[in-house]
Amino acid sequence: MNDKKIEDILRNLAQEHIPQDVQKITEETLRNFNETLLPPKQHILWEKIMRSQFIKFAAAAVIIIAVGFGVWLFVEGSTSVALADVLQKVEQVQAFMYKMKMKTTGNAQPTMPGGPMEMTGTILISNEYGMKMEMDMNTVVNGASRKMRQLMYVLPEEKKVYMIMPEQKQYITMEFDESVLAMMKKQSNDPRDMLKQILNSKYTDIGKSVIDGVEVEGFQTTDPACVGGMMEDVKVTLWVDRKTELPVREEMYYKINEQMQMEGVLEDFVWNLQVNAGEFEPTIPPDYNTPLPAGYKMPTASEEGAIEGLRFCEQLLGRYPKKIDMINLMNEIVSIKDSNSPTAAALKLREELKGGMDKLPEEEKAKKIMDIMRPVQSLGMFYMTLVQGKKEPVYYGDKVTAADSNSVLMRWKISDNEYRVIYGDLTAENVSTEQLAELEATISK
Amino acid sequence: MEYARRVDIFRRVKTDYAGFLTSVLWRLTGDKELFSEALQYAMLEMWRHVEKLNGKKAGAYIYRIALSANSKAWRNRIGKNGQFSDSQFEIAAEPQRRTDDAELTTKLRKSIALLPAKQSAALVMRYLQQQDYDIIAQKLGCSEVTARSNVSKAVSALKRVLRYE
Repeated sequence: MNDKKIEDILRNLAQEHIPQDVQKITEETLRNFNETLLPPKQHILWEKIMRSQFIKFAAAAVIIIAVGFGVWLFVEGSTSVALADVLQKVEQVQAFMYKMKMKTTGNAQPTMPGGPMEMTGTILISNEYGMKMEMDMNTVVNGASRKMRQLMYVLPEEKKVYMIMPEQKQYITMEFDESVLAMMKKQSNDPRDMLKQILNSKYTDIGKSVIDGVEVEGFQTTDPACVGGMMEDVKVTLWVDRKTELPVREEMYYKINEQMQMEGVLEDFVWNLQVNAGEFEPTIPPDYNTPLPAGYKMPTASEEGAIEGLRFCEQLLGRYPKKIDMINLMNEIVSIKDSNSPTAAALKLREELKGGMDKLPEEEKAKKIMDIMRPVQSLGMFYMTLVQGKKEPVYYGDKVTAADSNSVLMRWKISDNEYRVIYGDLTAENVSTEQLAELEATISK
Repeated sequence: MEYARRVDIFRRVKTDYAGFLTSVLWRLTGDKELFSEALQYAMLEMWRHVEKLNGKKAGAYIYRIALSANSKAWRNRIGKNGQFSDSQFEIAAEPQRRTDDAELTTKLRKSIALLPAKQSAALVMRYLQQQDYDIIAQKLGCSEVTARSNVSKAVSALKRVLRYE
């Protein structure tokens, strides 16, 4: 290294031309910041999460998985002869693959990467081994594009999810519990489940068409329940090969909220693939590191997890959250920054995030954020499973408080004449339809 | 300070120093994503400390904020072991920069981000902004000798670090 060269480079830096698009980034950043100043909505949680690319990804991954689980849920019974035949056909398939293209615009919530995001991926699914997903994501923030490649393995036998980011030389391993495993065993992540969802939703046969020379028949649903009640508007169209009775293409449009929309296509299906165990073995090079400790647990989708989540939210907000679908729930939690009368727990959390986080090593920082989010995600996931399972969940968080020990905070159907109820004091029991009617009559008064 | 007043000051300072921040942060990052991240940190810090930006010392504070934002952005990019991932370079760098000199420049930028605050400030003022030592001393609130010393120490530190790269 020539010492003189350093000073030359420094002098050259001073002369460096500033590209036009960099000026544009500045203009956009300043404009965006201006907008956040109108209502003071810079959330501490969001800000902390967004500072770390890794935490951002890890948090987003949990949401992606959660959404995925939504698609995996089994709904019993079917009502359509033609589609039921298709379902029967695809259920015989042991392994298959397809390609996915997704595009999101806007920000659904703080844990999702900001800006428009495009994802393309190849998904390999085996009834025996699990799922492998290779995804390329391109996020645009303030005009700057960021590309990220990720590999995700969901291995039901190991009860583990692996997420690997080769460019960052990082990975996450998370274990999931019986409640999540039960969901996954009912279904492996795939379009077959959307088919089941369509079957059990209000759908229409939209007639014949031709895709890539193949004569197909289309089925369409706009029932939000098919994605766990997480979206405001839904439109899913499934095109089935009339000859083989196997899906050829699936088109999806979701409006998550006013700010965010998502659209995607599943295509290039290859059915009846031969796969081997090696294809589902994650390879993690020795120089990769992880910010999460070994044995880190994914959020659970159980009743216990939901109760823990309700307790956590109540302590943080000083009341139960108004809504518990994942998006609204997360938004309500991060809004504690703007609360004029924060609870002791919220103040403590604010201080922790404000003061100590930057000093923490990346591992502890990631774990802390994930720990904060986990009970909230458990609650959101549990509610999602109930919506998708058509268990008739009803939540009264806007009316019932922790002091209302005899009031129904949340309930869902467990059999034809029985409901499970969580009361305001977070105790739970089974009640008959008649008992429930009496309990709910009290709330409406 | 009431909210509306903070907003007023912030908007004025932001307009006054947008050009400065763009110029310094771009030269210190040389990468659009890193630049965008550093600029956002800078905005955030300006907002947090907006009451300090309403006086004669505003310029000095902005310097401190800009350099601290740059360091933060670089620290996020740098791996656990203080090294860059090669693939990160490949993603971030523009094709025309993929030369030896460009790599050296990137390493130099990273090293500036890791310098002590006063040294990096003095170095940036001297080399990137080509300011005289009396002005640097004034902005850093020190003597001219100390300003020279900070620049000199910064350059020596960079040479020392890069010699072993």
